[in-house]
This record gives sequence, structure tokens and C-alpha cells, in this order.
Amino acid sequence: MASIAQPQIQAPTLPKPQAEESGLWSWLTTVDHKRIAKMYGISAFLFFLLGGLEALLIRAQLSRPENNVVDAQRYSELFTIHGTTMIFLVVMPLSVAFFNLVVPLQIGARDVAFPRLNAFSYWTFLAGALILYIPVLFSLPGIFAHAAAVAWSNILGSPLLNGVQPWFDANLPFATVVPDQGWYGYAPLTESLFSGREIDFWALSLQVLGVASMAGAFNFIVTIINMRAPGMSMMRMPMFTWSTLIVSILIVLAFPAITIALVLLTFDRLGGTMFYRAFSLTDGTLVTAGGDPMLWQHLFWIFGHPEVYILILPAFGLVNEIIPVFSRKPLFGYAVMVYATAAIAFLGFGVWVHHMFTTGIGPTPVAAFSASTMLIAIPTGVKILNWTATMWGGSLQFTTAMLFAVGLVSQFVIGGLSGVMHAVVPVDTHHNDSYFVVAHFHYVLFGGSIFALIGGLFYYWPKVFGKMLDERLGKIQFWLQFAGFNLTFFPMHFLGLAGMPRRYSTYSFESGWWFWNIIASIGALMIAASVLIFLINVTRTTRFGRQAEANPWDGSTLEWAIPSPPPVYNFRITPLVTHRDQLWHDKYDRVQESAGRPDQVADTIVAIDQLPERSPVGVAVAEAEAEEGHIHLPNPSYYPLLLSIGLFLLAFGILVNNPHIQLGFFGIPIISAFGFLLLVTALYGWSFEPAG
Amino acid sequence: MAIAIEVETARGAGHIDHGGHGHSEHPPTSTGLDSRKMLMWLFLASDCMFFGTLISTYMIYRNRAIELGTPPYPNEIFDIPYTSVSAFVLLMSSLTMVLALSAIQRGDHRGLRIWIAATALLGAIFVGGQFFEFTEFTHEGLGLSTSVFGASFFVLTGFHGAHVTIGVVWLLSILFISLRGGMPAEKAVDVEIAGLYWHFVDIVWIVIFTLVYLIPYADGPEGVVEEAPHAFLRLVTVGERFLAALPF
Repeated sequence: MASIAQPQIQAPTLPKPQAEESGLWSWLTTVDHKRIAKMYGISAFLFFLLGGLEALLIRAQLSRPENNVVDAQRYSELFTIHGTTMIFLVVMPLSVAFFNLVVPLQIGARDVAFPRLNAFSYWTFLAGALILYIPVLFSLPGIFAHAAAVAWSNILGSPLLNGVQPWFDANLPFATVVPDQGWYGYAPLTESLFSGREIDFWALSLQVLGVASMAGAFNFIVTIINMRAPGMSMMRMPMFTWSTLIVSILIVLAFPAITIALVLLTFDRLGGTMFYRAFSLTDGTLVTAGGDPMLWQHLFWIFGHPEVYILILPAFGLVNEIIPVFSRKPLFGYAVMVYATAAIAFLGFGVWVHHMFTTGIGPTPVAAFSASTMLIAIPTGVKILNWTATMWGGSLQFTTAMLFAVGLVSQFVIGGLSGVMHAVVPVDTHHNDSYFVVAHFHYVLFGGSIFALIGGLFYYWPKVFGKMLDERLGKIQFWLQFAGFNLTFFPMHFLGLAGMPRRYSTYSFESGWWFWNIIASIGALMIAASVLIFLINVTRTTRFGRQAEANPWDGSTLEWAIPSPPPVYNFRITPLVTHRDQLWHDKYDRVQESAGRPDQVADTIVAIDQLPERSPVGVAVAEAEAEEGHIHLPNPSYYPLLLSIGLFLLAFGILVNNPHIQLGFFGIPIISAFGFLLLVTALYGWSFEPAG
Repeated sequence: MAIAIEVETARGAGHIDHGGHGHSEHPPTSTGLDSRKMLMWLFLASDCMFFGTLISTYMIYRNRAIELGTPPYPNEIFDIPYTSVSAFVLLMSSLTMVLALSAIQRGDHRGLRIWIAATALLGAIFVGGQFFEFTEFTHEGLGLSTSVFGASFFVLTGFHGAHVTIGVVWLLSILFISLRGGMPAEKAVDVEIAGLYWHFVDIVWIVIFTLVYLIPYADGPEGVVEEAPHAFLRLVTVGERFLAALPF
């Protein structure tokens, strides 16, 4: 390694790189993965706040028996939007924010393989989110006004609400098209016989979000396979990069199922087909239509179960980065961790029927899927063991990031155990559609994904923004959130076992469920307070935060070798990778190697400043760039944004009333036609634009 | 100019292909494979799942019209000789696609244009054939909402037809670019990627043709109602109907 000749080159005086420009236009046309990461992160966090508000309204309604903060219709809308938001608009994009930020840096690349496709992913995500949220933003203020009126009359005893109808809904545009069928949208509830326009909003929003996810996933697979720095073999890749690769493969293979499922649903609703309709209503009588609502359940969960691994594996990836760094030890069982992640992803495609045990599908599939579901506990258990063994005997540093990572390990074990319980069919039959299930998936998705993602925010904040988040406030946030989380969701196990069904807008006093419900609502307020503390922390940090060094946590992966925040080109010279924990090797092993010869120690320590080692390829590129006088970076482009706007209009035209152009059999909404033209124009403009 | 650099690492040697300096069209990749080609392969992997989902749906519903006694039934409307002809046309377009790629790799621009045009033409004939087939089926009473058999048939084959249509537009774009002189031999990979897509769409048709048309169906509850018309006669009928529909 030391034998490689390292041509010493002087960094040339560089013109200010284009992408460093500020202003709105530079953000709209950016293809820089770090900027896209920020946009993903900020959008996802805003949706986290909105999804949290929806959760608080749900908890307000359930805080006492026969409550009237929201009516049954509004309640259905709230749990539907809360679920859809948290899954598709929070955990997934927040994970993608980390993919964008971390992966190119970890593999020593200057950007992703397809920077414009990356920008397209973000804008399309935003387009899909808008389709879902235009109705919600119109109806949320009304719901809040109503909730405030109820609170007023509850506290002051004045019957402000007597005789007041839900005045807030019908008058505002879009306020009656908030989806209300639940996040998995079971047929035939979603068929036109039982629902209105809101299902189309939901379905098309998910379609557009799916395009965004798949475009991103293609990009990250190619990036990870093809853009690694010289010497970084697959088994030297950091574990977060591995998680990204495997999650992206899951997205690429799982999303087609829901895309087709939604296409069939849209045909049922707008094209008169009967894919999910067992009966149709003709002249007041029910006629056998031949369709099968079970088809929806199969297609949805063939997507839906891999989806839960799409939600949790990025979180596992972050924990794989955080725990070794704060245990001051390399990850225990790296190779086994890689295989376990791959095994979880593979098995994840063979367990979907465990969401359907109570549909009467028959003993053979039930037994087979029960067994395959239990199998998943093995690779998951391997991961838990590896994290524990990494911490074992390490010099543990309980920073906020580490607290959240260990929080995931402990909370996910609880959620995982109740998951294994659900693999046991008789138990599942008892728990099905009860609050026990609600408790289970919040333990894995909140106690799992959200804990790790917030831990990841604390871990990577210095790298992105160059400022250290306040550790004291962070620890207060963690303990408040940890206590609030368990207070909210642990009692739901009891409620479920006591028979409280999920998705009911209220319950009677006689049911005896009020005690644990008020406890859960108090816990929800504590979670809200912890998020508030995080917001205060962010504000304080932005103003007064301590400047971050390049490697504030003494991390071992390449992203910590470059300044915080990273320069627009990431690595001036592409590094050479010789070890898995490259920076630790360079820093500690080399000092140890030269320990026998004290005269060399000083030299070695000087060499640390020049980390990481330069690759010959990187040096050749940098020398060429020095001659040309500029660093080679992808050009900004407005075509990704145009393409996304086209896609948005295409979907939006189907949803709102607008004139149609008659083309033979088909009436094409004028907005959609315009969107399609824009889409095609942008596609051709994109193809002919030099990629830079 | 591509140069190869051997990198000695602590664990073994890695071989890196590297395309010269920062100005090069394709930056060096870890595997030496073209990134866009890899993107197309990944897209095809996911397209397998798209078609897989639709084909499963069709396989679940393929006998539903017969079971429920809602005509028309598959045996009454499917015309295997006719569809065999259009399947043959589509398969031949894979051959012309190979010839187009081979031409541009040799720097034969005229060959590229001829074979790309031929591929696009064969693809267009297939799509036209499918359009006529759909029209025929509609005339015989099979619509999207007639039965789930009809719905899953139209959505599956229509999804495939949309793929072929997009492919034809893509090929015509390549032809246009080549005529404008924008398709040098170094850009043969652009044609190769379009070819990957085109061959995939062909292969999927082999699967669809087998599962939808070739695997026999039971007769409807009333038995065989009528013999399927001969493919040629049918084309003539369709042609006559088309001419009759013209406004002049």
C-alpha cells in the first residue's frame, strides 16, 4: 500500500463551482446529491410534523369515552392520512435523504450515477405528496377549529358546540376528497359503489410517489455498483451503503405490484372493469361480477410486506454506522450482517399472506406463511446479536445518536417479539384488527425506524450543516421521547388484548378502555414535546451551534474524511480504499505499525492530515482538471423539474373537473393533455441536454 | 483512450477500467459496465414484476367468463392464426434490431437507418394488428366491463402494446437523430440500450402469447358457438370495415 507512488499535485486555484450558487433557481435546477438530500430531509420533516398533528388529533379524540373532537368521518380521514403520510411521506423520504447524503460520500464518489434522475425523484416525490396533501391542507384547519371549539366547551363547560354541524368541510374546495379508507385501501371499500373522488386522489398520489421511489432506487443501485472508489470491493462497503443497495432492490421489485394493483383499481373506478368487485349493482339488484376483493389484498401485501423492510432496513443501516463508532469497535460480524440484511429482504417477498390470516384463505397457505414468517426472526435476531456483541466490551459513548440507536435495538426487540406472536396463527386471529396490532407496528416503525432516523439526524447533522446539534437538549429529547413513546404505545397491547378494535372513532365508558387511552394520549403529548425540543435544538444550533470539524465523532468511513459541510465536489481526489474501516485503519493501525520505530510516528501522524489515501485514477482525473482549470461536475438542469410538473398535471387533470378533449373513444382532460405534452417535451429536452 | 490501471490492495488486486481524463463522455465505473446499460437492465427487472403482476391477474381470471357464463368466451374470439402472424412479425423485429446494432457498431450508418426503420415498421405493424384485434373483439361484444376475463385480457395486452408503442417512438427518435448525424459509432451503446428494451418486450410477448392464446380453454357453457374466422379473411373484413369507416 505504501509502495504506491503518490504524485504530489498542487490544488489549482479554482473558479467558484457553478452549483455553489445560491438563490431559488439554483435550488430548482440543482442536481447536487447533498442539496437534494437537504430538500428530501426538510420536506419529510415537515410531513412528520403534519403526520404528528394528525396523530395528536386522533389521540385527542380517543382521550376519553364518547368524545366528539372529530366525527367518525373526520376520524377515518385522520387515521388514513396519518398512516399514508408516515409511511410514504416521512420514513421513506427521510431514508432517501440519508441515501442521498451518505452513499456518494461513503463510496468516495462525486455524485450519484444519474444526478438529473436524482433531482427528478425529489420533484416527483413532492408532486405525489402534493396530490395527497392538497385536500388535507384544505380540511385540516377546519378540523383544528372544530377541535378547539370542543376543547373550549369541555374546559369552560359552555355549550359552544350545541347544534353546530361540521361546518368546516363541504364549503372549502377539496375538503370532501380527503381519503378515508385506511392506508392499505382494501377493496371493495375503494370501489366506486362505496367511495368518491378521494380514492382517486389517494391512488394517483401513490402512483406518482411510486415513480419517484423507483427512479431513486434504480439510481442508487447503479451508483453503489458502479461508482465505488478504487479498492472498495463489495465486502468493504460501509453497512449503510449495503442497506441502501438492498432496500433499493426491494423497491425495484416490490413497487410494480402496487403500481399494477392501483392501475387495476383505477380501471375499476374510471373504466368500468370489475377486478376487485365480486358483485355489481345493476337496476337495483346484485349481479355476480366475477372480480375478487382478495386480489387487491394479495397484490397490496406482495408490495406491502417488502415495504415494511423498505421502511426498517435504512434505519438498521444507520444503527450499523452509529453503534460501532460510539462503541469504539468495528461492527461485530460484518459479513453475517450483510447476509442477514439480504436474507431479510429475500424472505420479505415470501410472507405477505400473514397479513391475511383471517380472510379464510385455508389451512395450507396459512401454515406455509406462518412458517416463512417465523423464519424472518432468524436473520433479524442475528442483527440484534451483532449490535449487542459490537457494544460488548466496547468503550461506550452515550451521545444522543447512540442513545437513539440503542433505543432502536431495545424497542425493535419488543416490536419484533409481538411480530413473532403474529406469526402464530391462533394468536394472530385473536389480535387481528385490534390495538395489539397498532402497538406492534408502532414499536417497529416508530421505536424502530423513527428512532434510528432521528439518531441519524444527530449523527449526520454536523456533516450536512457543519454545526453540532446540542447534546444536552438532544438527551432530554431522547428520554422524553423514549418515555412518551412507551407510554403511548405499550398500553395499546393491553387495549388490544382487552378487545379494543382499531379504527373506531370512539368507545363507550362501559368498555373499560378509558384508563389506558388517557395514558396513551398523555404519552403522545410527551412525544410532541420531544419533537418541540428538537425544533428548539435545530433553531439554537443554526444560530449559536459549535462549528463541526471534519470528523467530530471519530468515524471510520470515508464521509468523515472530508470537511463539514462537504465541498460541492466531495472529494478533490478520489480516495483509495484498502480496508473496511478505512479511517480507523489509517489513523490507528499505521500508528501502531510504526510504534516500534518512534522516529516514524510523527511522520505517520502528519500523513493523517492527508487522509484518505489518493487513488491513482483520482490523481489522474484531478491532474487533468487542474490543467483545464475547473472541477468536473454535473451541470444543473431544469428538465427534471419540468418532467415532474408534467407528471403532476397529468395526474391532477384526472382528479379535478376540467374540459375534456374528445379523441375517438377517449375523453382526455385538458390539464392532463397539457401535462403529457410538457412531459414529452421535458423528456426530449433531457435526452438532448449534455449531461456535463 | 481507455487505459487500465492495476491497483494493488492489501487484499488483492482490483482492475479498474478508466476512460481517460475528466472530459470523457463516460466516467470510469467500478465494474467497467456502462451505467446506463445497467440502469436499463434494472428497469427490465422491475418490468418483469409489472408484467408478472398483470399475467398473474390474467391467469386468475382467464376462465372466469366460462365459469360465470358471460359471453363472449375465449374460444369464440381468439384467432390463433391471426395472432401468430403478428407474433411472428414482432419476433422478426428482434432480428432487425440485432442487425441495426451490428451495423452501427461497424460504423455503417446506412445499415443502422435501414434496420432501425425496419424494426420500427415491424413494431408498428404489430401495434396496428393489436388495434384491429381489439376493435374486432369489441365488435364481438368483449369490452373492458363485459367480464373480468375481458378486462384482464385488455389491460395485460394493452400494457404490452403500450410498451411496443413507446419502443417504436424510441426507435424513430434514434432514426431521426441518426439522419441528423448525431449517432456516431461511439454512441452505439444508445442503440444497444434501446435494443435491450426491444428484445425484452418481444420476450414478454412470447410468454403472453403462450399463456393467453396457446394454452387451451374450455368451451363456453353453450358449446362451440362458431368457428373462429380464418386469419386472412379476418384481415380482409377488418380492411373493408376500415375503408368503410373513412369519411370519403
